[in-house]
Amino acid sequence: MNIFGKKKKIVLPVIQGDGQDVKVRCNSCGRLIDYDTLKENYKICPYCGYHFRMSATERISVLADKGTFDELGEPIQSVDVLNFTDTVPYKKRLADLKDTVGLPNAILAGSGKIGGIQCAIGVFAFEFLNGTLGSATGEKLAELIRFAGKNSLPLVVVFSSAGERVQEGIFSLMQVAKTVSALNAYKEKEGSLFISVLTNPVLGGVASIAMAGDVIIAESGSYVGVSGPRISEYVMKRSLPKEAQKVENLMKRGFVDIITDRKGLKDTIIRILKFQNKWGKL
Amino acid sequence: MKLLPFEKPLEILYKELERRKRNGEDTLHLEELIEKQMEEIYKKLTPFDTVLVARHPDRPQPQDYINALLTDFTEFHGDRVSEDDPALIAGFGFFKGMPVFAMGTRKGHNIHERLKYHSGMLSPSGFRKAARLVETVSHSFKVPIISFVDTPGAMVSPQSEMSGQVEAIYKSLSALLNANVPVISVITGEGGGLGAIGISTGDRILMLTYSYFAVVSPEAGSAILFKNTEAKSRVASQLHLTARELLSLNVIDGIIEEPLGGAQRFKNAVIKSVGDALQSELETLLKEPVTELKKRRLEKYESMGVFTK
Repeated sequence: MNIFGKKKKIVLPVIQGDGQDVKVRCNSCGRLIDYDTLKENYKICPYCGYHFRMSATERISVLADKGTFDELGEPIQSVDVLNFTDTVPYKKRLADLKDTVGLPNAILAGSGKIGGIQCAIGVFAFEFLNGTLGSATGEKLAELIRFAGKNSLPLVVVFSSAGERVQEGIFSLMQVAKTVSALNAYKEKEGSLFISVLTNPVLGGVASIAMAGDVIIAESGSYVGVSGPRISEYVMKRSLPKEAQKVENLMKRGFVDIITDRKGLKDTIIRILKFQNKWGKL
Repeated sequence: MKLLPFEKPLEILYKELERRKRNGEDTLHLEELIEKQMEEIYKKLTPFDTVLVARHPDRPQPQDYINALLTDFTEFHGDRVSEDDPALIAGFGFFKGMPVFAMGTRKGHNIHERLKYHSGMLSPSGFRKAARLVETVSHSFKVPIISFVDTPGAMVSPQSEMSGQVEAIYKSLSALLNANVPVISVITGEGGGLGAIGISTGDRILMLTYSYFAVVSPEAGSAILFKNTEAKSRVASQLHLTARELLSLNVIDGIIEEPLGGAQRFKNAVIKSVGDALQSELETLLKEPVTELKKRRLEKYESMGVFTK
């Protein structure tokens, strides 16, 4: 294998054995990084600042106060409702994911503390079919939103998703309406606060849901928009310049409140939570 | 009329019909034959064939339904922020004497119109126009909303992304969910992805027989899953995008029947059927208090999806 030829393609390594001396090549600058150093550095490249993807559990570990995160409700499993087969049967994909990722759907949702403040926390799992929005993911997110409303908690959702899940067809699209409906009910409550965190990437209907945030924070260098490069390339017959979906540019155009790197993210969220007067005590 | 690939067997018959008409010969028998042949073809349409019918340039489009079914239609323009999106026609008129708000995607019947209206793909300003007018209708006019949908999807371009397309879609979708008036949508041709759901959430979703409603177009689905558009027909079959399939999945509320041969051949009949269907749905919806309607609308969307616990 020529590891130098296609540096862009080399992504995260699977740690083998005791995990010693594992090196990772940066997707952006191409330099070799010691995996332990990378992990300690919030998975940010120490040379160029490139943000590697984080798994949902890694994300929770840097976002929620240690030991405070409790998963919400029963696990909700994705189902192959349309009997869909792409290059692999969707049923098989789901079965494989159960073993490899260990999540029933593409979101990890629960309650936990951030800077000592109790929150409803949702984190999209990009490792589960690119964080796509299937029925189970949509239902879990809606459950989290209802939970936040019922318990008068601030809602913090970290988004990373390639958009709707094609294998679940129309039901995937309907999850956008479902979650927006749940969000509308939450937002109607006085004192509700939805902090939406955009990480790389957030696409399609999931981006529409994310834009409902009362506060929208983006991790630097993330891309947010309607569709990924493949659709524009194959369907629109022209490539969409990546710059158009870069959060730095979206902030200039007025669609993002704050941009921060991953190291500053938790502190930024804590500050925003503290800017809010306590629920019901206004 | 443009014949679709699967209609090719009709080509020779149509030519013969034309010849006989020119020569003043008897055509009754031939016309019967054509009708029979067409019925045979249309009874066997694959889902992707249906997509092709849905895209036929001669099908009536939202602006045609609005102009034919509403009197005194008065178009409203602009999103009050940036511009007026020509791809969204929106305004008020009287439907069988009753004031209503109607909107729909303009697609265009020829290349000139298609360029002008972006083939019915809404820009952020289109979704924002929809959102602001739906809010005004819900608060001030208090009349039913009818939304006609025929769009391949939401506009994707550097400009639309930079102008907040995803945020604009959220605004429009949210406004329709929140509307304190009855909302009926009719998918008359293409119901493509976010662009379609952004203007179609309502109390009733009706589809014409040869329309489609899908999370992505078959081409885009194929590009996502197979990295090429070759599998579009296979993807179309798997997406369950036809009116019949969506009705059986309980995603839509009704089908407005088109004659075999499609709305492109039977424009007036189909426009009339759409009018009749709208009238009967409105009569039912208007009997109920709007608070009850809205409650059930939200319950409907919040219960959408299939999963196991």
